This record gives sequence, structure tokens and C-alpha cells, in this order.
Amino acid sequence: MEIGSMVAVTLVQIAVVMGVVLLTVAYMTYAERKVLSFMQDRLGPMEVGPWGLLQPIADGLKLFFKEDIIPSGANKIIFAVAPIICLVPALIGFAVIPYNGSFTLFGLEGGGVISDLNVGLLYIFAVAGMGAYGVILGGWASNSKYAFLGGLRSAAQIISYELAMGFSIVGVLLLSGSLSLVTVTEAQAGTWFGFIPQWNIFLQPVAFVAYVIAAVAETNRLPFDMPEAESELVAGFFTEYSGMRFSLFFLAEYGNMILVSCLASILFLGGYKAPLPILEFIPGFVWLALKTWALLFFFIWIRGTYPRVRFDQLMKFGWKVLIPVTLANLLVTALGVYIYNN
Amino acid sequence: MGLIRNIFMTELLMGLKIVFMQMFKPTITLQYPHVKHPIPDGYRGLMSLLRYEDGTERCVGCSLCEAACPSNCIKVVSDEVPGQPLVRYAREYYLDITRCIFCGFCTEACPVDALAMTKVYEAAVYDRRDLMFDKAKLYELGERYLEDGKAYLTHHRMDDGTLHPVEGLGDNRYHFPAVDAEHGGVQPEQIGLTAEALEVEETTR
Ligand code: SF4
Ligand code: SF4
Repeated sequence: MEIGSMVAVTLVQIAVVMGVVLLTVAYMTYAERKVLSFMQDRLGPMEVGPWGLLQPIADGLKLFFKEDIIPSGANKIIFAVAPIICLVPALIGFAVIPYNGSFTLFGLEGGGVISDLNVGLLYIFAVAGMGAYGVILGGWASNSKYAFLGGLRSAAQIISYELAMGFSIVGVLLLSGSLSLVTVTEAQAGTWFGFIPQWNIFLQPVAFVAYVIAAVAETNRLPFDMPEAESELVAGFFTEYSGMRFSLFFLAEYGNMILVSCLASILFLGGYKAPLPILEFIPGFVWLALKTWALLFFFIWIRGTYPRVRFDQLMKFGWKVLIPVTLANLLVTALGVYIYNN
Repeated sequence: MGLIRNIFMTELLMGLKIVFMQMFKPTITLQYPHVKHPIPDGYRGLMSLLRYEDGTERCVGCSLCEAACPSNCIKVVSDEVPGQPLVRYAREYYLDITRCIFCGFCTEACPVDALAMTKVYEAAVYDRRDLMFDKAKLYELGERYLEDGKAYLTHHRMDDGTLHPVEGLGDNRYHFPAVDAEHGGVQPEQIGLTAEALEVEETTR
């Protein structure tokens, strides 16, 4: 393929993926409010459009027109840059997410992924780690105790749970023998006995649970939302933010949620692969969307169920339970793979 | 057992199940501006002044409501009905709803059931001056929400019998026995007044 059409295909892919991700973020807020409402016997947003379906648009417009306030004494440059540092890693992670098998559209060939890096997972973890800087800098630059405490907590939390998250996926990497997300997905094709899909969740159940818990903590969601515990810290690191900058943090948080859900469905639930061969007529991106939405629903579900844990409980759980468990799981997996291969 | 429960986090899973089932239970939200709760008869909403069936104003300008009001928000300017000596009415009547605490004492104090409370609770206005009710506004409210006012007085047992003639009503109202008897309302015996006592009162008048 000549270079021009390659660039064009990539640009179109980027545009489509970003569009879908941002749309998902918008409707994730809607879904969250609706699901939480129904869990609490309420109706949620109902006024804007039928069943409040246009609420995200109204909210977006409102945030767009809000006054942008920079608190006095804040470090203006870092204050302005922090939301961007936070948002960019959340979005560029999607570059290596395979959303479909290879396909041909209008005579052009698409790989089903923007860029199939052979170190895709490492890349995601590397850029996701950068997001923590946005949080800390935003908390520090706003010249407010609450924001600063929120930023510190967030940093401590992200660092401790990133370890557990890393350990939990090493097992998957051992099984598929690659860091490329496309290879990981392809390794999960097929079924056992004709009806159990060959997904990693059946080989790595402990790792899956650990990954989900760590993912919740990573994205600062309830019950691990210490950095933005509203009863203690007002809103945590973005207390002083308003208008567009606030919505950038918001986008980053939800973008991160979607990213970790996508990753979980790729690593453990077979990504864009259909669960059974007879269901393969449904295109791959539908499967990925279904799996991701199921995980996102789970995120909302636990938010509606569990109270916030204390900060020391959070740290204790991360270091004393999650990391040893994932380490043990890694050891067992490594042994199993070694024995199987010989 | 306890260990297994801890490892599989059964309690957490049970919590998840309960919350999930809750999602399918009917919601209890009322879409307020579109759907409204039924208001009970005894509801203390905005104040109104009532008229008799023939259109004469009930209020006799006695200022008892003014005296009863704990927040001093009523002002009555009493006057003689032109051409009818000894018959009085309220020439002007002001009620400051911004200060009213909706206690209903004024309606209880009124000897002729002139004041009644309606079921109107959406009193928000853009200009606070609109909440300084004068006589015209109060009578207009009374006309518009006549049924509310009647129901209010009946519910609180202040009905003198001219609104909803029901036996035994009116034991909560302030009684001028003679007035009652004249209007064919509550009879003196009903509130423990004997004919002799009434006689005495008549003569002392
Ligand atoms: S309801 Fe109470 S506060 Fe309001 S006018 Fe009547 S007596 Fe005064
Ligand atoms: S108590 Fe009744 S009759 Fe007397 S002034 Fe007040 S409203 Fe009029």
C-alpha cells in the first residue's frame, strides 16, 4: 500500500476511534446517572429529550459556557496544563486497542487497530502512568489544601495499585507469549469442547478479579475514590477547577475507565472475538463494545453498592492482599506454562 | 467456612445481588412539575378571604386575626359599611406573605370564617412585592380557590355551618353564640351553652 492511503486510513481510524470514545464518555455519564438512579428507586435525568437522552449534550454545553476561574496564588501555567496532562494519556492509550479483526472497507485495508505495537501493553502502562502527573500537578498548582491532599492520595493510590495491576496481567502475557494486544486477542480464539470460549478469564480467574479491583482503584472510582472523597476533600484534586478545565478532568476520568475496561475485555474476555463460532457473523467491534459496556456497568454497579473504604484500608488491601495474591498467581501460572510447554 | 466466605467475598457478592435486584423494582419518583401530589384538605397554603353566597364580604374588620398572628404580618383597616351604621368591614386588608409562617392561627381566630387557607404552595414570584397581598388579591384568591378554602375550614372543624352544613362541625372555631344562632349554624347547646346563659348574654349586649 502506498504511503498516502496508509496515512489516510490511519487518520480516519483515529477520528472514528476518538469519536466513539468521546461519545461513550458522554453516554457513560448518562448511563451512570440512570443506572444509579434505578438502583436507588429514582428515575434520573428525565427532562432533556425523551428519557433525558440529550442530557450529556446539555451538560457539555453548560460546562463549555461556564466561567473559567483560576484561583489567586495558583501557578497559572501548571494549573492550565494539568488537565491536558491528565487527558492525553487517557486518550492515546486507545491507539493500540484492537477493536476488530483485519477488514477491508471501500477497497482499503484496515488492521482493526490504529497501531499494532509489539509492546502495546507496555505502551499503555507507560502513558497511563503519566496521567498521575496531571493529577498531582493539578492538585499542587491550585493552591488549595483539599486539592493538594487529593492529589497526594491519588498519587499514592495509583502507584500502589499499578503494581498489582501489572502483576495481574503478567499471567496473561505468559499464556499468550506477547505484549501486542492483537496477538493476545488472537490467542484467545476458539473454544474448548466446543462451548467454552478459550478466554483467559477461565485460565486466570484470580488475575481477572485482581485486575478489576486494581482497575477500580486506578481510575479513582468508588469504593476507592479517596482522591476525590467529596465528604472530606470537596472534590479532591479538581476542587478548584471549573468550566472546560473541569470537564477535561472529567473526560480523563471516564476515558480511563473505558480504557481499563477495554483492556480487561481484551486481556481476559477475548477482545473482539465472538464467544462461540456460530456467533462470528456479528462483527468484532460489537463484541468488544458489549464486553466493555458490561464491565462499565459493573463499575457503576459497585459504585451503587459499596461504601468508600478508609485510606489505610485501601493501602493495606493493596500492599498486603492484592500484591501477594497476584504474585502467587504469577508463580503458579509460570510453573503451569513451563510444565505445559515441556 | 469463615475462611471460604472471606476468600470468595460472599458478603460483597450478596450486596451486589441485592443492589442489582433493586434496579427492577418500581421507582417512586414523581415527575414534579408534570405530576403533582394530591394535597390534603387540611393543607396550609396561601391565605385567602372568602365571601358569603350572596357576595358580601365575610370579613367584619374585627382585627382578631391581626392580634392572633405571631409574626405580625396582617394589617386590617376597619371601617363602617357606608350607609349601614354598626355594620363594619375591612376597608383595607394587608397580608405580608413573605413573613407569614403558615401557622393558620389567623384562620382560627376569625369569628366569621372570613380567612381560609388554600392548597396553593407554588408561591414563588420574581418580585417580592408581589407577595404583599392586599384585600383585592386575597378576595380574588378566595374566589378562585373557594372549594379549597371551604374544605380547609371543614377539615379543621372551624366551619360555622354556612359552608358545608355538617352536624357537629365547628367545635374548633371561636364562638359568638348569638351570631351563630342567627346564621342557623352551630347551636348554643352544641357547645355547652344553656338557653339561660344565652339569655343573659343577650340582655347584657
Ligand atoms: S398563618 Fe400565621 S403567620 Fe400567617 S398570617 Fe396567619 S397567623 Fe399570621
Ligand atoms: S379576624 Fe376575620 S373578620 Fe376579623 S379582621 Fe380578620 S379576617 Fe376580618
